[in-house]
Amino acid sequence: LSSDDSEEAIDSDDGAENTSKWKKSLLARTLSRRSASLMQLVYGKPSTELDNANNGEDSSDEEFFIPKGQKKQAKSELPSFDDIDAEDYSKFFKVELRDWSDGDLVESIRDRFVTGDWSKASLRGR
Amino acid sequence: MAREKTRRLSGSRHFRQRLVLATLTSTPVTIVDIRADGTPGLRDHEVSLLRLLDKISDHSDVEINETGTKLRYKPGVIIGGKDLEHDCGLQRGIGYFLEPLILLGLFARSPISIRLKGITNDTKDPSVDTFRMVTLHMLKHFGVPLEGLELKIESRGAPPLGGGEVLLRVPNINSMLTAVNWVDEGMVKRIRGVTFSTRVSPQIENRILYAARGLFNKFIPDVHIFTDHRSGSSGGRSPGYGVSVVAETTTGCLISADATVSCTNVDEMSKESEKPELMSPEDLGEQVASMLLEEVAQGGVVDSTHQGLLFLLCALCPPDVSKVRVGQLTPYAIETLRNIRDFLDVKFIIKPDPNSSTVTLKCVGAGVKNLARKIS
Repeated sequence: LSSDDSEEAIDSDDGAENTSKWKKSLLARTLSRRSASLMQLVYGKPSTELDNANNGEDSSDEEFFIPKGQKKQAKSELPSFDDIDAEDYSKFFKVELRDWSDGDLVESIRDRFVTGDWSKASLRGR
Repeated sequence: MAREKTRRLSGSRHFRQRLVLATLTSTPVTIVDIRADGTPGLRDHEVSLLRLLDKISDHSDVEINETGTKLRYKPGVIIGGKDLEHDCGLQRGIGYFLEPLILLGLFARSPISIRLKGITNDTKDPSVDTFRMVTLHMLKHFGVPLEGLELKIESRGAPPLGGGEVLLRVPNINSMLTAVNWVDEGMVKRIRGVTFSTRVSPQIENRILYAARGLFNKFIPDVHIFTDHRSGSSGGRSPGYGVSVVAETTTGCLISADATVSCTNVDEMSKESEKPELMSPEDLGEQVASMLLEEVAQGGVVDSTHQGLLFLLCALCPPDVSKVRVGQLTPYAIETLRNIRDFLDVKFIIKPDPNSSTVTLKCVGAGVKNLARKIS
């Protein structure tokens, strides 16, 4: 108890309350940004989405044949890092498999099995 | 969504999903620049898929240009039907065709029963065993009755020559699926699986399952892997062996992994001058076990292979909130989410869960109804 008190005392000298406050807000911000970045990773920036919506409205049956120039324009809107002719595989290939005979690795998922610790596993969902 | 609007897409990626979504939303699509560089045009399996779509629907219309780089598809009404037959070819496994078939089958006028011929187990697509043990059971969560949902493996066929045959039956739904709240992945209570061998010694299967069980038994004693040796005509035309395993959890989630070993394709073989060495049954068993443990470690209510299908089903649900949990998003799943946004106008709210390093996704379904069904 005494050690805790002393630590607190030292911290408060440095303005501990302020520190913890900005740390908290920072943490919250980082978390929210992470979720936003995941959304952004999937759906892209909001502006590109608008572009897509416009495209959908413009296109019609008559546009089956369109001038070459326009075609290029449409192409440039696509993200360049994505291969438009990528093979259609739903099966996911893990690049490298870890060695599951390794003790530490075994322990890391021990509680995902009914033979593991149930109380620890129930914490996971929260 | 207006029916007349044609959607313009480019490239051959996500061919199946695009066609399925186009069909379910009755949106005509034009796909341009299909493999514009290299060997241009549609591949055999893609043409085969188009034929299959034509087989199960009425008034659909497909136009392909001379080089096969441009496709125009106008979806019709999915009618389904009994005693259908389709040759899936030898480029891709039957698993490639099963995924779109099951989605379309749900929204058909009458239940589908179809005989599919080709490669039952290969490395590129989920095996028919995985499909039977896992994929079909996923539908149950969305209110699809298990009766009438069946996959029977009549004969097996390994690549490159195939010769397998399966019988698929998919019921049609009355009007809509039901939304899910499926976030509890539970704990793994048992592991099941099946090995297969065609035109090789049946002893190989014991070697596979011995190796796989060795890894699994570190975690759980309840491991049962069946063997399925096929000889004669039910063994197809090529030698091969493989295994599909499933981890069942306390909350009814099924996590799967599968792998197959067979001689490589004829055209691939000619590229490499020597005959490549095949993976031994022991290594295969160990590899599959590791794959499954990797999936379990990742968490989520489905494995990474089924993420895309899960999202699709969620998006097709009635306008209710669906909530699901998956492990790390795969590139295929991410692309699925984009396709869903484009066709169904459904956007998921995606939140990482730092506590278990999983991802939860929430969406309001598009309320796709089975309009093809006759109202009696």
